[in-house]
Amino acid sequence: MNWDQLQLKPRIISAIQRAHLKSVREVLVLSEPDLQKMTGLSGPDVQELLHAAATACRTHQPITALQLQRGECRRLESGLRLGTGCPVLDQLLRGGLPVGGVTELAGESGAGKTQLGLQLCLSVQYPVEHGGLSAGALYICTEDPFPIRRLQQLISEQTSLRSDVPPSLIGRLRFSDNIYVEHAADLDSLQVCLSRRAALLLAQGRVRLVVVDSVAALFRCEFRPDDWLERNKQLLTVSSMVHHLSHEFTAPVLCINQVGHTYTHTCLLSSGERLSPALGLAWANQVTVRLMMRRLQATVSRGDQSSALRRLEVVFAPHLARGGRDLAVWREGLRGVLDPVLAPFGPDVAQQEMVLPLRLNR
Amino acid sequence: MKRPVSSLSLGSSLKGKLVRAGFQFTTDLQDLNPEHLSAEAGVSQQEALEALQAASSGHGVAPVTALELLQKEEEFRSIVTFCSQLDEALGGGVPVGKVTEICGAPGVGKTQLCLQLAVDVQVPAVFGGLGGQVLFVDTEGGFQVQRLVDLAGAAVRHCSLLAEDEEQRVAMTTFTVETILSNVFLVRCRDYVELLAELHLLADFLSNRPRLRLLVIDSVAFPFLRLHDDLSQRTRLLQGLGLRLIAAATGHNIAVVTTNHMTTRLHSSQAQLAPALGDVWGHAPSIRLLLRWEESRRLASIVKSPGHMDASVQYQITYQGFRDADQSERPPSKRPRSQTDQSASSRKNTGT
Repeated sequence: MNWDQLQLKPRIISAIQRAHLKSVREVLVLSEPDLQKMTGLSGPDVQELLHAAATACRTHQPITALQLQRGECRRLESGLRLGTGCPVLDQLLRGGLPVGGVTELAGESGAGKTQLGLQLCLSVQYPVEHGGLSAGALYICTEDPFPIRRLQQLISEQTSLRSDVPPSLIGRLRFSDNIYVEHAADLDSLQVCLSRRAALLLAQGRVRLVVVDSVAALFRCEFRPDDWLERNKQLLTVSSMVHHLSHEFTAPVLCINQVGHTYTHTCLLSSGERLSPALGLAWANQVTVRLMMRRLQATVSRGDQSSALRRLEVVFAPHLARGGRDLAVWREGLRGVLDPVLAPFGPDVAQQEMVLPLRLNR
Repeated sequence: MKRPVSSLSLGSSLKGKLVRAGFQFTTDLQDLNPEHLSAEAGVSQQEALEALQAASSGHGVAPVTALELLQKEEEFRSIVTFCSQLDEALGGGVPVGKVTEICGAPGVGKTQLCLQLAVDVQVPAVFGGLGGQVLFVDTEGGFQVQRLVDLAGAAVRHCSLLAEDEEQRVAMTTFTVETILSNVFLVRCRDYVELLAELHLLADFLSNRPRLRLLVIDSVAFPFLRLHDDLSQRTRLLQGLGLRLIAAATGHNIAVVTTNHMTTRLHSSQAQLAPALGDVWGHAPSIRLLLRWEESRRLASIVKSPGHMDASVQYQITYQGFRDADQSERPPSKRPRSQTDQSASSRKNTGT
């Protein structure tokens, strides 16, 4: 740490060096009496030191929400979204996944979580005006091998799914070149993958989406039930890594999770749902947006294809109302099915002043 | 100057506790820090800080009557939440000059309430609001401008419906979505060290912005829960943080609102939900609001407050923001203007 950068009086700098303080972070976590004792500086000098250290540690000056909305701060990309490739689902998500934060997608096996993960790996590669981020994706598999054939099928059908994009643009994108696949069988390898591979790819601008499929798999087998303290610590470590990556590189992180039955104190936590995402409260506190995908009883058919109906629901998000959209899984990917109840209001729901209805279980 | 503690301008119960703990004169209170005083005299940290400030500052300060204290407290005002039942239970709203904590499970509405308060603090004085600015410290990444725009638009519409006289209509020209956005200052902190750094620079920020009336930290739990390998350092840092927030609230006359997570505590082999960060942090806020689910209803309860009874009210989160549960079409009830406002406006009318 080059203390001269802080523009402090020479006597303060020599006192810091004598006390072997190595960084501004070290200075900021010490209390004022401790600092006085360690450096031998007077009260006002310590205040000056803390003030300079705090200014150096700060990543950005406070900005107004108006400046943020106008895009005047490069560091904080608020409002940018990663589209899913389907306008019905994008409407539910008010544009798509937020770029700064961790989105969780939970559901039973076979619900379609991996399908949505793959679809996002493709939609991220489109330019910003078509809902993408002009970069690739990193897909980290923790249990099942990567579904390469399904990805190839989705790629070949992109012109059919993305009718809003000119086919010449789609033809120019080298989709499979920009999707990086990693396998992580345990927590240690996940942490290594995130701290090295993910950080490098994000820093180089080659990817702007990280998908972890799934988080639950790593935590369920490694810990015995009474090891929950250690498990919570590991959860916090993983969460802290993905949040750091997301905010540092303004890239959305999608964590796919499994579900289980809830047992105790459901009344305080959920709104009466019986199946809830795995990993408990400690993990729930860490996610910014929580989505759930459910398989419904009905099926839909279209031409020669038929698909079981699913439902994508917003459980909580800072900018989204609770609600859901039905969707089907076709050859070309996930497509939302327009709900006849909401259809009369039209696509521009955000402009209207209304209470969005709470969807009850069918 | 040596004065008896009983002559300081403090609440009588506080003075009684100090005297009973053996602090007869102001000289006894010198060189004490608030933690020691609160432990010795059995008072909250907020009261300890007040006592020490009174002891060091008093130079022949005349005793204040209870009536004067009441009038002074009424001047302090509070920030409405737009959920009239919660405002009533709180005695007007979230109080200025104190630290209020909002705890609850993820998704129950803590960030929504913080965003609502960030809009409500800006309601012009002629509508009974504070016309103030807000500093929003975001540690979780939950601050979305899109949502703030929703809430600001709804608040502007409500106030336009309420505007009756010329003064209020003039005030509405400065209460627009754009001005509301320009009065919300955002800082994003990625970890607890950046949060501590921001609070070191808070005093400067506050003195440059006399109109600032609200500080929101959403959340305190998120960065500090990661500090699980050195719990004693975490306790010490949280204690210092709490004191700094109380000092900012009382010294600069702002409302401080923090949010907290819920964790599971093992209590005689039974798992219970409790606010995170432990009892040490629990002493910092004067008021604690617990937001929770009961089947599909959302409830807000006041669980810790020296001035309010424990109460539970139902609320809902709509497109317009934080509202009462039985939302009918009537706009939120007008806040009556206080005595000083009316006399000021009548003076203006008569041209004095």
